[in-house]
Amino acid sequence: MRISLKWLKDYVALPASVDELASRLTMAGLEIEGIERPAEALKGVVVAQIVASDKHPNADKLSVTKIDFGGGAQLQVVCGAKNYKVGDKVPLATVGTKLPNGTEIKQAALRGVDSSGMLCSSKELGITEDSAGLLILDANAKLGQPIAEALGLDDVVFTVNVTPNRADALSHLGIAREVATLFNVPLKKPEAKLTESSTEASTKVTIRIDDAERCWRYAARVIEGVTVKPSPQWMQDRLKAAGMRGINNLVDITNYVLLEYGQPLHAFDLDRIGGAQIVVRTAKGGEKLTTLDGKERPLHADDLLICDRDTPLVLAGVMGGASSEVTEKTTRVLLECATFQPTTVRRSSKRHALHTESSHRFERGTDVNVVPEVLDRTAALIAELGGGTVLKGRVDIFPAPKPNRQVSLRTQKVVDLLGVVVPAADCHRILASLGFKKLSGDDATATFEVPSVRVDVSIEEDLVEEIARVRGFDAIPEALPRGLSELEPERPALRVERLIRAAMAGQGVDEVVNYSFVSPAELAAFSAEKDAIAVGNPLSVEQSVMRTTLFPSLVQNVSRASRHQTQGVRFYEWARSYRPEQSGGQGAVPVAKETLEVAGVVWGLRHGQRTWTAKDSEADYFDARAIVEATLKALHIDGVTAETFESPWYHPRSATVLRKGDKVLGTLGELHPRVMKKLDAPAGIVLFQLDVEALQSVAQLIPQAKPLSKFPAVLRDLAVVVPAEMQSESVRAVILEVGQPLVEDAQVFDVYSGHQVGAGRKNVAYALRYRSPERTLTDVEVTEAHEKIVAEVTRRLGGALRT
Amino acid sequence: MPDVMQDRLKALAEAARTEISKAQTAQDLEALKGRFLGKKGELSAVLGSMGKLAPEERKAVGEIANKVKGEVEGLLSEAQSRLEDAALEQELKGQKLDITLPGRAAAFGRRHPVSQTLEDIVRVFSRLGFEVYAGPEIELDWYNFEALNVPADHPARDMQDTFYVDAPWLPKGVGPVVLRTHTSPVQIRTMLAHKPPLRGVMPGRVYRKDSDQTHTPMFHQVEGLLVDEKVTFAELKGTLAAFATAFFGASTKTRFRPSFFPFTEPSAEVDVSCVFCSGKGCRVCKQTGWLEVLGSGMVHPNVFKHAGYDASKVTGFAFGMGVERLAMLRYGIDDLRTMFENDARFLAQF
Repeated sequence: MRISLKWLKDYVALPASVDELASRLTMAGLEIEGIERPAEALKGVVVAQIVASDKHPNADKLSVTKIDFGGGAQLQVVCGAKNYKVGDKVPLATVGTKLPNGTEIKQAALRGVDSSGMLCSSKELGITEDSAGLLILDANAKLGQPIAEALGLDDVVFTVNVTPNRADALSHLGIAREVATLFNVPLKKPEAKLTESSTEASTKVTIRIDDAERCWRYAARVIEGVTVKPSPQWMQDRLKAAGMRGINNLVDITNYVLLEYGQPLHAFDLDRIGGAQIVVRTAKGGEKLTTLDGKERPLHADDLLICDRDTPLVLAGVMGGASSEVTEKTTRVLLECATFQPTTVRRSSKRHALHTESSHRFERGTDVNVVPEVLDRTAALIAELGGGTVLKGRVDIFPAPKPNRQVSLRTQKVVDLLGVVVPAADCHRILASLGFKKLSGDDATATFEVPSVRVDVSIEEDLVEEIARVRGFDAIPEALPRGLSELEPERPALRVERLIRAAMAGQGVDEVVNYSFVSPAELAAFSAEKDAIAVGNPLSVEQSVMRTTLFPSLVQNVSRASRHQTQGVRFYEWARSYRPEQSGGQGAVPVAKETLEVAGVVWGLRHGQRTWTAKDSEADYFDARAIVEATLKALHIDGVTAETFESPWYHPRSATVLRKGDKVLGTLGELHPRVMKKLDAPAGIVLFQLDVEALQSVAQLIPQAKPLSKFPAVLRDLAVVVPAEMQSESVRAVILEVGQPLVEDAQVFDVYSGHQVGAGRKNVAYALRYRSPERTLTDVEVTEAHEKIVAEVTRRLGGALRT
Repeated sequence: MPDVMQDRLKALAEAARTEISKAQTAQDLEALKGRFLGKKGELSAVLGSMGKLAPEERKAVGEIANKVKGEVEGLLSEAQSRLEDAALEQELKGQKLDITLPGRAAAFGRRHPVSQTLEDIVRVFSRLGFEVYAGPEIELDWYNFEALNVPADHPARDMQDTFYVDAPWLPKGVGPVVLRTHTSPVQIRTMLAHKPPLRGVMPGRVYRKDSDQTHTPMFHQVEGLLVDEKVTFAELKGTLAAFATAFFGASTKTRFRPSFFPFTEPSAEVDVSCVFCSGKGCRVCKQTGWLEVLGSGMVHPNVFKHAGYDASKVTGFAFGMGVERLAMLRYGIDDLRTMFENDARFLAQF
């Protein structure tokens, strides 16, 4: 909201310093977000008169003028404009001035003629976009007067961020009330000098409220013999400063009082109101209204309307209709001032996507008791500036007046909530200065009547807040919370997260953070669109469904990297996937099943770029596999089996599911070529995904140490030729089983297939480590064990010893 | 006679010292070893003539001869080490490694700046005894708004543009469903599940329908909640001032401004002295010297009521901050959207 300080001064004396005023308001909860000081930007520009003008001797397009700016000696100024005549008053930027557009005025010679200053256009002063010629000023302007004053720009305008609770502060008077409290100065309210004719207004119009739940009060006055014309300049200047445009005196006056009191008003042409009758009711089926913005709007049964005998005139509290608005021909005015139920106005405003100065205030709540005062003030202004006669009395329908709210304050509550002792006298004084009337009570407990303008105050805590904010939060000390009484053990989930993230870092996997929503097409490419939860009002289709898998985002990340000539990435994301929870909403059950996953992608050059140590080394399935294995190791999860499975998004040759017992821990594999094609993704993408909760359920968070054998190990290699399709793990399983208890470990160190081993066969070589915890093994017993293993591998798996 | 032999041994030792110190090669040493200690060497010659001596003289001379032998052996082995060292030195001198080549790349993964910042924020509150709590992101309107004293049709709803979710699987009457606009619903769920006293932080993803240079439709928050008997605004101030110095640096100042949040009363915006200009005023703080980083306040009694706490017995404070905002300030990131583009060049900077 924009507040003109010039205007504000009508109601309250302001401190000398604008910055101090801004700071005090900000620190009391009315944040001043911006301060406009147009006068400052125009310092050095004054009203001057052109007393002579001659052609420039050396330039056809320039003139040499003599200028009087009331400063004694005349100046010579070279000028390029043509739109003036001698005797005109124009803005002169004196030497040393810096114009809003950055131009600095210097003593200069233009094509050989001295020039002491510059005559300015409206654009050069930053006032309008008009650069056609000099800004010609009013003939009565005073020579030498600062231009800001002459143009009525000598104002300072605050932009105030009024929080939704402070409906009372949405006006100049509201801000003035706050200033009066903060600086302890009196508030001067505007006076309504009203002269009424002898004719009763009630003889000219009848008013009926059909829906008293939605319309709490409807009051009106009638003014006759009005002349519609432009409003005076001072009023237009003020409206402009507050961000509104002048239209005509009637509309301007209602807007002016709106900005003054925060109470919206509406002026009707009484002659255009059917049956001179106002009915406040909700819409009937099929009714439509053409609002002032020219749009015909079908109405909803919950829309509150101001109607005449026959048709809707106004969408109550939101916007007027075209049929009854005041025109140049209007002479008889019906002036409305009403109070509507805030939620009704808000719903209509939302429903019709119409946010107006009126709806903004009504939906936050207006002061039902200020209605007569505002009505009188407005009528008086119309009579004064529009020349009409105000008829006698108000037609005021107020079906259910309510007493103001009463709230009690315990002085101890102030201490308990704020942590600082505020004497009762101080508390009561602050509340009184804000218009809270003490009804009864003593220093320990007192009851206050809440002024009706403070629609936000209803409980004791609200009073404490008023006291705290007027004193300033700076006046409250800082203290650390009192000590803990107990400490919970660390949550396993947090430890698991830390260990997994450490494994990722150790494997050189960078973390990405992607949006939780993707496009339906991306999910469909992964055949993962089933069960996807849709956002009802997405910003774009690319962000319209919640991920059922993190993979589409990770593939996006790779595509981006590829587009930007990054040659390889290793990424992981720590996030949830989302699916409907059928029992959602029962008790505390969340509406969606949100599965925490750690998912990742490996693509391109293993080290992100070519290196001299590993040229052109492309990452593959086994890089992703290593990341997954490191994660399992970090969590001390042993005995995990890997099997291929059917998957819509992994390549059939490498789709791997990892299980511990029958619990699925995760999956990995190369991206299916079909998905790659659909997403136009680069080749060579390998993905993995682990279910964090499943990992946690089988993780060994605190591993138990085993004693180390003091005896030496014996190393032996074993190479077997097996069928090519055999998974090497089955060979290893036999080795470990048969080799019990002497074989400590067996690691594959070579896999070879080629003509030497024959078609359909492969050679797999293992490095075996024999060791006993009790003694040094003899060559004989190792050889015996090794031969037994060879025999069993050959027998069980159809392998042959490689020689 | 013994004197003559002693003199010969002394001379032998003297000659060995001189000659061995002059030796330049292994061959030289070999020759000297033969000359002094060999079967036909000088020491053998001396010892060979000992047969003529009386037994007691033989013993005395023998002792001296042994001493000399020991000394010469020592000199020879010393010289051998010297020559080996010199030879090694000579050999290594010819070897050169290009030590300007980069190291053989080993793995090193980085955390996303948002996740680093989030972790750092949480760590500060952990030091103050706050537990970490999590909750759903797809949430019932009741937890996200109603329970937090933001009824339907309240203008405060405009403070957070909300994404709504179609939830056809839910029974009629359950809903509406939203993407949580803040992590405050986790506060409600935590209070419903735990009796006071309670101190917790609630980090996580949140969603608002907004997109420009300083807004993305998804971002992260860390909220916090402390409830106990007689918790005061002074403790709120102390806790958040402590956070500010722990996170931004010891000289950071904190300013509390009255504001409005439906779920707290009184409510305060928290500004910290600008981290770029130390409060002098600059482009980032729009010349004010302050940066708005947190919202906070004393928990509204209506929130306690919805969460099943007795507002006449306990009070509490709550606060919330945007993780991306703090990450942007901390790392000097201008455009929020770059956080979610996940460009490898961006991620490599943190």
